[in-house]
Amino acid sequence: MSVQPLISAVESASSALELLHATAALARSADAAAAPTLVEVLGFNNPGAAVAAVDGLVAIGSPAVEPLLQLDPRNYGARAWAVRALAGIGDVRGLDLLIEALLTDVGPSVRRAAAKGLGNLQLAALTVGERAAIAQRCLDALVGAVSDGEWVVRYAVVVGLEGLALGCGWSQDHPGHGHICTGLAQLGDPSCEEASVVRLRAALALQRLQPS
Amino acid sequence: MAWPDAAEQHRCYEPSRKDRGIGQDRLTAMGPMTGEPINEQEALARLRQSDDPSMQYYGAWWLGRNRSRHPESVPLLIAALQQRRPRDPGAGIEENAVARNAARALGKLAPAALAAVPELLAALGDPDDGLREAAARALGDLGATEAVAPICARLAGGPAEAGARQDGCPRLVEPCEALLEALGDIGVAEPDVLTVIEPFTRHDWPLIRSAAARALLQLSGEPRWAEPLLALLGDSQLQVRRAALMDLGAAGWRPAVDAISTTLAENSLKLIALRGLIENGSGEPGDDALLAAMDALL
Repeated sequence: MSVQPLISAVESASSALELLHATAALARSADAAAAPTLVEVLGFNNPGAAVAAVDGLVAIGSPAVEPLLQLDPRNYGARAWAVRALAGIGDVRGLDLLIEALLTDVGPSVRRAAAKGLGNLQLAALTVGERAAIAQRCLDALVGAVSDGEWVVRYAVVVGLEGLALGCGWSQDHPGHGHICTGLAQLGDPSCEEASVVRLRAALALQRLQPS
Repeated sequence: MAWPDAAEQHRCYEPSRKDRGIGQDRLTAMGPMTGEPINEQEALARLRQSDDPSMQYYGAWWLGRNRSRHPESVPLLIAALQQRRPRDPGAGIEENAVARNAARALGKLAPAALAAVPELLAALGDPDDGLREAAARALGDLGATEAVAPICARLAGGPAEAGARQDGCPRLVEPCEALLEALGDIGVAEPDVLTVIEPFTRHDWPLIRSAAARALLQLSGEPRWAEPLLALLGDSQLQVRRAALMDLGAAGWRPAVDAISTTLAENSLKLIALRGLIENGSGEPGDDALLAAMDALL
């Protein structure tokens, strides 16, 4: 089935509920041609439709990245949803936006998504040199956020650091691996980290990364 | 000067506290009013002066938010708790705004704020139901067992009296939600306390039923009190679903993990609820399964 009728249904939706249903249907197509329309929905101030659009953009994957990166930075609401989509897609072209979001966004839920996304980038297809450079930038950003004021962001930093360690291919004696473990140790230390759920998750990550 | 917290602007109908976690993205590192970070000395100075109540209001908020341990914080907040000021609809100011915020801040400053329990108990008898609400929450946060008897006395009339609507205003005679939650948080599981709470599980308002079931679940641990909360996760109103999420988290009811994960609400609130299951609950499902459920919602 062509995706065009589904796109038209989103464009002609006349109520919030209609937009939600039309977006969900278009998202289910997971067709690359749907990406620009789904990106447009992110700016409509309809959270239900935006959640559906993010799911669709993540399912589309790489072809959705360019339209996401072209969003107007002044459209804050749409950018926040775009960070969630880029975090889910894991394409390295989203790196700059994810780093900026983690370190500067005012919304904890946006920083949270960015932190998880920085541990979720798909690095396997890159050259060894590219992979090392990108992993280092992810590491610096995540370590820079271990003192974020919101527990849920620090929790996501733990998950991001764990994902980065597992995805970047550093050996146990690589300095980067050591820095990840140092960051996790700080997030697991009661004298630095007040939220016990964050400490618990950090201990689990360390256990996975440093099997005894 | 703008009044600090939009959520506190004058309104007869106040949102549940459970709703306040949302939309505060912008209130975190910087103050909600000034746009610039202030330090503890500045917060204390703002609370100490009395010419500008909005500065006091902000100072009190800052000290609570940042868990101040300064020796002057609790005495200054106790003094602020005594301030009475009529509501000023023109300026968007709620009744006794500084006193209410001082009570809220004291609730966050245990153990030093235990010294404020007598003043908070007095505020529990204030004519202003909004101040009674703030005092009840603070006493619950402080786990003040002295508050159980006076709170039970306030609720003793049941849904028909304490839980009746005030004339001309969609508020109840007593701040029932806060009083019920405080009883659950304080944790005195005596039969006569449970007897006072139980009738509120049949209140007309779902938020009150949710608070009552939460308190009974916290105090008795009986699974039957989780059932109304799980049912409210499927309520047609987002506000009710949010409240049930927070209540299951506060009670640490771990069997609710899947129901929480699939509730139609913001992931931010589901994460807070799941954190509650981990930190307040025990047993099955275990920590690793709960952490995996949290990871999936980031």
